[in-house]
Amino acid sequence: MNKIAKLFITFISAIAMALVSFSSSFAKVEGEYIVLGSAISLTGKYSSNGVHTQNGYNLAVDRINSMGGVKVGGKSYKFEIIYYDDESNPKRAAQLAERLIKQDGVHYMLGPYSSGLTKAIAPVTEKYKIPMVEANGASRSLFTKGYKYLFAVLSPANQYLEVAIDLAVEKNGGKPVKIAQAFEQDAFSQDVRLGILDAAKRTGSKIIIDDKLPKELNDMAATLAKVKATKPDVLVVSGHTKGALTAIRQIAEMKVDVPMLAMTHCDAAKLSKQHGKKAEYALCASQWHKNLSYKDKFFGTGKKYDKDFKKEFGYAPPYQSAESSAALLVFKDAFERANSFDRDKVRDALKATEMQTFYGNIKFGPGGQNTAKPMILFQVRCKGDTCENKVVAPTKWASDKFFHPIPPWSERG
Amino acid sequence: MEKVKQKDLILYSGLIILGLAAPYLFSAFKVQLTYLCVLIVLAMTWNLQGGEMGYNSFGNILFYGLGMYLTASVQVGMFFPLAEWTESGGEKTFVHTTTQYFQGIGVGLLVSAIIPAIVAGAIGYAILGLRGHYFAICTLGLGIAAGEIAGGIEIIGAGQGFTTPPFPAEIVDVEARGKFFYFLSFFVLVLAFVFVKYIYGSRFRLILNAIRDNEDKAEAMGIQTMKYKIVGWMVSAFFCGLAGGIMGGLIGYIDSTDVAFDGREMGVFMVLMAILGGKGTLWGPIIGATLFHFFKEGLWTFILGWQYVALGVLIVVIVIYFPEGLMGWLREKYPERFGEVIDEKDRKSQVELK
Repeated sequence: MNKIAKLFITFISAIAMALVSFSSSFAKVEGEYIVLGSAISLTGKYSSNGVHTQNGYNLAVDRINSMGGVKVGGKSYKFEIIYYDDESNPKRAAQLAERLIKQDGVHYMLGPYSSGLTKAIAPVTEKYKIPMVEANGASRSLFTKGYKYLFAVLSPANQYLEVAIDLAVEKNGGKPVKIAQAFEQDAFSQDVRLGILDAAKRTGSKIIIDDKLPKELNDMAATLAKVKATKPDVLVVSGHTKGALTAIRQIAEMKVDVPMLAMTHCDAAKLSKQHGKKAEYALCASQWHKNLSYKDKFFGTGKKYDKDFKKEFGYAPPYQSAESSAALLVFKDAFERANSFDRDKVRDALKATEMQTFYGNIKFGPGGQNTAKPMILFQVRCKGDTCENKVVAPTKWASDKFFHPIPPWSERG
Repeated sequence: MEKVKQKDLILYSGLIILGLAAPYLFSAFKVQLTYLCVLIVLAMTWNLQGGEMGYNSFGNILFYGLGMYLTASVQVGMFFPLAEWTESGGEKTFVHTTTQYFQGIGVGLLVSAIIPAIVAGAIGYAILGLRGHYFAICTLGLGIAAGEIAGGIEIIGAGQGFTTPPFPAEIVDVEARGKFFYFLSFFVLVLAFVFVKYIYGSRFRLILNAIRDNEDKAEAMGIQTMKYKIVGWMVSAFFCGLAGGIMGGLIGYIDSTDVAFDGREMGVFMVLMAILGGKGTLWGPIIGATLFHFFKEGLWTFILGWQYVALGVLIVVIVIYFPEGLMGWLREKYPERFGEVIDEKDRKSQVELK
């Protein structure tokens, strides 16, 4: 036993020494670099959107650095990001935020992907008074907590599909509609659901199916069978990328006829490419579209961003990437206006943000949400075999007319 | 004999001093150290029925998640209407005063230890008649079902998740929260260790071992195996609940399947850690959990995106080279250090017989 004890003590002290040497080697915060930290979902159920987010961050970092960097106090600084993989798990995300702040000495944070993870990280950044600009946490409850160091460049989740219900009512001659809805059980999708509930109440519409979908979403046949039987006027589905892919795949397989299909995450799922004509007529909520006429001096217009992004990463940027890039533009702007690395000064500068980026106008409301940018809806339309996302609402940006109702499968080729 | 005890005393006091000093020595690592304490508690108590009793449970995550939700619910519900707190994913926010916060978490932790133990008793009564892999599969289902059910209960936030009360803002020291949770988890760790150590010296452990080695014989000897199996599981549940309650407060956000009933991670980790260290030993799960945590924290960030592959390789290596865990391997190599005496004459005579 005593030898074991000795062995154990040696082991513990070795670890202790390793830890001490570890913690001292991380003292550096910035040289000519402004170090930002971010926990990103590189594995797990959000991995595809996590990568979209990371690509958006990286593209903006490269662009800003190559165009003169960030000028603070007459000196030019470059952005650098420390990434960790949060495995799409809130527990891990909170722990990594702590790690970024305490061990890596990060003073400024970029958000993770998804509302759930942002909800887990926000209390940590708030505690240490670390300004966080996030681009992928849309849940409304993030902005009602009174967080002072949280800034979101995107519109809250409840606004995603509200407009779609209004549109359905309008197409129904102003009369209330029957809504079928299915939402993944996560913070974001449940918030989208709340938005629909509000819209239904406002328009007097009736919700005839209200299903919850599991998190690892691969099958929603049960919901679709009900839809087939009850014939609602509009079907609403939200479940991140997997939700969008599953919905389209099974609607086509089961030949479910519904006059209107409203979803989220169509562009992140590359619906028009993956499912082609099967995805046609799907109506999708989006934070951004390349055809909008916003611009800035780093990325130019949305179209140019689209081109540059494609060149760099080989696929068209979903809005998750665009909003992530915008987060860095916001940070740069705030640093320059604060002209300081003092966290509270940077925070105050962030709070006073009022700018236009290629992604849209950005101005933060009292809760930290972006109040200057409307959501848009696009519809997947096909010409021959090539399908594209066409903006249909709001009318200011619309390039195409909203096609309604969706023709039954018997008439679709 | 006296000498060994003195050695033990030095070891334990050394470890306690190290434990108490750790958050000051490694101030930046407080959260990781808290995780370590919780992981050790989970591994150690899993070992009670997985290692000692031979009932491999994948369902202990049920008690962990239950403890998490219970602590948070009690902490909020004692002072504010819980339904309004969680409605719409926590849109309304009430602020706990410092006293309310600590009172809440105190009572919450108490509840989170007792109720899971009772639940374990009830479920145990129903399913501990199952043996071997039937029991394992059944408990696996328990954890998954609990996650899905919790995701549908509106009063605890359903799919929106449950934001636990933030640490009181009146305490200005930013380190206070980290220290509080560290010492809390360390206290639970010490409590669990003392208890498990006590069990190791008692008849109870022998009964558990008897159940593991041959349940029918144990029964034939007049041991009411069912009773002991249930009690064993209840002890595990008690500490799992406590561990869950602490983690909920520390993470600050409870999600039904990803944080609370996280069978895919925590549920598997606790089994893995116990096996890595060596199940059926006192120190095995502790060493296993420590090694695992260091492996995870140290290595995972350097192999972004590949960490689960590395974990898979680790599991394969453990199973192939250390099927009895590190402690089991050491025991085989140096049996005399574990107080096992090999009678050379007897061994030789046996060899010669063959």
